[in-house]
Amino acid sequence: MHDLAMKLFSLLFGIGILLVVLQTTLQRLLPISPIVPDLILVLCVYWGLHHPTVGAALGSFLLGYSVDIISSRLLGVNAFAMSLVFLSVYLGSRSIWLHHPIVSSIIVLFAALVKGAGLVLVWVIFLSTEGFWTGAVQYIVSEALIAALLAPFMFTLLQRGENYLGKPGATAQ
Amino acid sequence: MLAFLRKNQIPLSACFCLLLSFYILSASARGQLKHEPVGAVLMWVIRPLQLAAQGTANWLLGIHENYLTVSGYKSENERLRKRIQSLEVERQRLLEAEATNRKLQQLLDFRTQLPGKPVTASIIANSASSWFQGCILDKGSADGVRKDMAVVTPLGVVGKVVSVTAHSAKVILLTDANSGIDVLVQRTRSRGIVSGSLDGGTILKYMKRSEDIQPGDRLITSGLDGVFPKGLLAGTVVKANKQNQGLFQSVDVLPAVQSQRVEEVFVVAGVAETAPAKN
Repeated sequence: MHDLAMKLFSLLFGIGILLVVLQTTLQRLLPISPIVPDLILVLCVYWGLHHPTVGAALGSFLLGYSVDIISSRLLGVNAFAMSLVFLSVYLGSRSIWLHHPIVSSIIVLFAALVKGAGLVLVWVIFLSTEGFWTGAVQYIVSEALIAALLAPFMFTLLQRGENYLGKPGATAQ
Repeated sequence: MLAFLRKNQIPLSACFCLLLSFYILSASARGQLKHEPVGAVLMWVIRPLQLAAQGTANWLLGIHENYLTVSGYKSENERLRKRIQSLEVERQRLLEAEATNRKLQQLLDFRTQLPGKPVTASIIANSASSWFQGCILDKGSADGVRKDMAVVTPLGVVGKVVSVTAHSAKVILLTDANSGIDVLVQRTRSRGIVSGSLDGGTILKYMKRSEDIQPGDRLITSGLDGVFPKGLLAGTVVKANKQNQGLFQSVDVLPAVQSQRVEEVFVVAGVAETAPAKN
């Protein structure tokens, strides 16, 4: 059981690193620049919904930190946002039934808005606010919609990846 | 107590991660995170993957551009293509060689004009976040790149190095909302700060309403910030608006360099670092 959890953590974290690489390189092939599809956010939501463990919380933090290492002037911005997303999704998944594929889009949309709110908080405290609100609203809404559209597709891929490990996709309570 | 911790281990660990990231944020904002080994390890893992993915992206872009070129001229070339195919291939090869030669000559000329010992670097990754405009270079401290060095091309300013590992460097672009470059209006010698803004534009800040700013005015680095050598083009004024209330006018700027299209850059030390030490 412990071995399977470790394998699952390794699989999802490995996928997360690949998604970070995709976000930083192949995104310029897409016609939606400068908006970057937030694949890491979708992965963290999936983790929080389907496999909420201590390792998943740490994994979400580390993936956010990876994005910070590559992209952010301030370390910790995305680590904070992804930890916030994981916690929100975990707490939400305990009280509502959230595992329908279409509902997953709505959850990712909600999570992206939570992440946006977290970034707004951090930005206002630590960084410049020149022209902030116009850009912030544009980025939050665009990223949330794109992430919500990608969610069912990515969830299906991730569940297939889990099945490859020999265990059907588990569901949280 | 132990039962409570065990029952709530997941939310508690997530809260711990939140607090940890907030601590990292605070330390980073105060500039106290000079050496953080986790970031270096992550970069060590990610960098080769980025190089491979960037190569794939370049290959795909090449295919796409070839497709556009071919389809755009297809109807015009159809009748003549068979007859002149071999000559056309030869001509394309020569043109490409000439263009490459010209570009290299420009780079060489520009390099000799830069102060100190410029480091030539390639951009291997772009920002993974919409909120920050940045990129990763394939050269790091082992190649002589240091924090706060200027990143430039013959066309003008690209940005500034904000952190360095042994074999890579993170650059904040001129178009980032948190960047700031001390510039002069070339025509009037008025000083201001060029910066990005989150709404996607680039602006000239702190320009008094009384200053004469016209569309087309060229903005060059002043060299006073100690980061950028003096006289590099930062951008061109697109629109100056004095209708706003307040002390300053609103000035929109077109950056000199479209960073998405740049592949090769020079990393150069600022005036303060390259000036000889006084006895």
